[in-house]
Amino acid sequence: MKKQELERLAKMETRILQIAEEEGLTVKETIFEVVPARRMLEAMAYMFPVNFSHWSFGRDYDYHRTIYDHSGAGIPYEQVWNFDVPKALLVETNPFALNVLTMAHVVGHVDFFLRNHYTRHGRSFANIAEEARFAAERFMKYESKYGEEKVEAIIDAGMSLRWHQPHDPLLEEPDDEKAREYKISLIQEKIRYAQRRAKEGNGGAEQSEAAIKALDLELARARSATPPEPVYDILKYVMARSHRLRKWERDILSVIWNQARALAPNARTKMLNEGWATYWHTRIMRRLFGEGLLSAEEHGVFLDFHNKVTQQQKLGLNVYSVGPAIFEYAEDAWNKGRFGREFEECRNPREKAEWDTHAMKGKEKVFQISASYTDHMAVMELFTPEFIHGLELYIYEERLNEEREEVEYIILEKNPEIIRQILMHRHAFLGTPEIVVVNGNYNSHGELYLRHGYDGRELEDTYTRETLRNTFYAWGRPVHLETIVDEKPTLYSYDGKSISVKNDDADEWTGEDDLSILFEL
Amino acid sequence: MKTSPSTEEASMPVIAPEIVSERGKADARRHRQKQRDAIRKQLPHIIAEESIITGKRDRIIKIPVKNMQIPEFKHGQSKKGKTGGLGQGKGGKGDIIGKRSVPGKTGGKDGKPGSEPGVDYIETEIEIAELIEFMMEDLGLPRLEEKQVRKIVVEAGWRVHGTAHTGPQVLRNNKKTVQEGIKRFWFMLEMLHKETGRAKVTCFYALREADGIIPDALRLLENLEFAHPEGMTEEDIAPFPIIHPDDERYHRLERKTAQKSQAVVFAMMDVSGSMTDEKKYYARSLLFWLTEFLRRIYEHVDIRFIIHHTIAKIVAEEDFFRTGESGGTFCYTAYEMVNSLIESDYPLSQWNVYAWHFSDGEDFDPARTVAELKKLFEKKINMFGYGEINPEESSYFTAELLDAFKKEFDLKETREGDLKIVASVDDDTPFIGAVIKKKEHILAALKAFLKRDRWQK
Repeated sequence: MKKQELERLAKMETRILQIAEEEGLTVKETIFEVVPARRMLEAMAYMFPVNFSHWSFGRDYDYHRTIYDHSGAGIPYEQVWNFDVPKALLVETNPFALNVLTMAHVVGHVDFFLRNHYTRHGRSFANIAEEARFAAERFMKYESKYGEEKVEAIIDAGMSLRWHQPHDPLLEEPDDEKAREYKISLIQEKIRYAQRRAKEGNGGAEQSEAAIKALDLELARARSATPPEPVYDILKYVMARSHRLRKWERDILSVIWNQARALAPNARTKMLNEGWATYWHTRIMRRLFGEGLLSAEEHGVFLDFHNKVTQQQKLGLNVYSVGPAIFEYAEDAWNKGRFGREFEECRNPREKAEWDTHAMKGKEKVFQISASYTDHMAVMELFTPEFIHGLELYIYEERLNEEREEVEYIILEKNPEIIRQILMHRHAFLGTPEIVVVNGNYNSHGELYLRHGYDGRELEDTYTRETLRNTFYAWGRPVHLETIVDEKPTLYSYDGKSISVKNDDADEWTGEDDLSILFEL
Repeated sequence: MKTSPSTEEASMPVIAPEIVSERGKADARRHRQKQRDAIRKQLPHIIAEESIITGKRDRIIKIPVKNMQIPEFKHGQSKKGKTGGLGQGKGGKGDIIGKRSVPGKTGGKDGKPGSEPGVDYIETEIEIAELIEFMMEDLGLPRLEEKQVRKIVVEAGWRVHGTAHTGPQVLRNNKKTVQEGIKRFWFMLEMLHKETGRAKVTCFYALREADGIIPDALRLLENLEFAHPEGMTEEDIAPFPIIHPDDERYHRLERKTAQKSQAVVFAMMDVSGSMTDEKKYYARSLLFWLTEFLRRIYEHVDIRFIIHHTIAKIVAEEDFFRTGESGGTFCYTAYEMVNSLIESDYPLSQWNVYAWHFSDGEDFDPARTVAELKKLFEKKINMFGYGEINPEESSYFTAELLDAFKKEFDLKETREGDLKIVASVDDDTPFIGAVIKKKEHILAALKAFLKRDRWQK
């Protein structure tokens, strides 16, 4: 990049920051690093400026690079990190207008990082990039000391489990002993209460006695059970209680765990975050063009990229399309007062369609969304039938046409309620099935027992098997997973040699089946 | 762009990039390695693909290769076979919004790709040769160590090799001859010097004057009555070749021969009524790969196709797999034909001989078949392979032929997974048999047929 161009870019940055401030965004000093395209491609694959070696990063790097090299498409243009001092990359060979667009977009991200309740929490892992850099060095040493295969195996195991995290992204689950203490005190409190009631003669002596007996039993269980309460953070549990992990392996797992925890807030807010950045880059760019800071030709380049990035995807959802639409929709609806009880309860279709109270609450609402929502919350509240209809969302199905040797994609359903349900599922639990550790001493032999919270969707069989293998590798004793297959309770077990799948015929599982179409997809 | 635009160049936002690019490449390599391993695992399916074995050889085939995924607990696809997702755009219920071609889809029941973790099908091109490399990694042909491949000497014209003292003028090796002549010059000079006591340079001029003839030179040196410059030193000696008939050198010619390795495959197949299309397909698949392997090892491979029911006949390749006859089975007729073909066209001194027979085990006269096989073994063929193709679990006839073989030869039964393999203990009777029941057995059978060092002592 020529000096002249750099200087112009610096001027643009100043103006962009001024505009952002005027619009009410939080402005924070951000490092923009001008790099070659390759560097950007790597950053995209490795998640951090420097990270340890793993084939999955290599795969992603290869993927981005192939698209970039061969199709000319997929120009990498955006990588921003929620560090203490946020950092973003600009590609030196990208058109000037694209780099300006990227800056305007990044300003939106930085505001979101600082504004949003969840990504703000992600900032508490501020030194995560430094950690990744040191981890890369340590892992290399481990490789030469213990062999690449062993290092890869433990990384694989960690990565298999990393997205199973506590529901509340802001809280860590207590360790076994803390959880036990709390549970015991809770039960003891209940016992005292029951005893008091028995003394007072309330509710019949027999009944109280039975209740106390049951509580005593529960107390005994709480004293010995491990974990005392189901644990969602499987990887953390494995790290703490594994029967075989060596120090260096624990180190590797803790790096992976830490990175996943740091990235989880981003993962939970991906759609909103991209939506917010796109919403703002559109506005900021509009002003830059209005002020004549960019030429007509550059306007063309900008529009070209903007349209490409935000276009609808026929087979999938583009967050750059759906994300900003959420804010546009909310802004419009809240400006017109299309919210609240009165609006919801309006049964006159015509009146409802034309509803406009000039409430002008739009700006307030979009800032509120970006400050305190996750994607899941946004789907729950804002994906109304009219919004989904306006987005032209649908469910499609793949069908093999044997005659023509083709797979055809066919629109199967446009029912907004079903679409909303699918989206809610997709944005819950970081998209993972709900699986908890219920017993870390199964068979009184230190075996690990996991339970799948079945919600009508079954687990993918092959993935389940492979994940159990990886879990075993880190746990060191047999691992089990209780789930539902073909509507029957099923137990997968892996003992280090082979996987067994026991399907209990006698005990049929029954569950609600109202949204069955949801689970066929 | 850290600071205001007035910042000097030194603090411009060009920060030296951190080097990860080697890591990116290395990690990408590791991923591709894993993909290769996955292909290897899929080999039993891939090699049985009909599109591979029915096409032309040495072409590039396409197989879907998946990006490897980190295994995670995840929600599966519906049991009802529906796959799909959410999309965005215009269209109503039932509209087709896109298409994707699925080339090479055979529709066979085992044709589905493996379901180990992996999505994102990427069609990767792979050559048949590369597939064979994969297989070769843990395979080798029996008796294919250097000493075991019978190399046949063939004449391939003449070549110059070394020198001779006699020969026709056209082959005179001038360079060598002159070299000899120079040697003779120095020798003579030394002799003249010793005989006459004259200075070497004087001897040189005498020798030159005498045209290299020693008696003349001696005479000249006696009285020095010949023109020679004075005051010369030894450094002025300019040697010239003095060529005697003994010094003549000629190029030596040799007959050129080459070691060539050639093999013949006798592919025999039962085409009686009990051989269904499915069985023939297995035979064809096995045969395709077996000959592909031989082609990597021998410079020349002949294949003769022999079908038989109650009589045997030689057919063209196309007909080999197409022919179906009704009626009974006499396997010996095919073996007989191989025996006579070896005698007439493929002498063992010239050819490596492989005989493979595919049948469903039915034979109306096993005793005679065994007798014919014995004759083949007496001729010292490289290998006899027997594939009993028997996909139906409960066949209504017993596999008489294999039983007969077992009775006659010293055979040992082993298992490769769930594939039954029957092989001779040593190479006096180089017999390998396999009982093939399903598609996945094809690769295992290949491995058995091609196992390295099977008969190594």
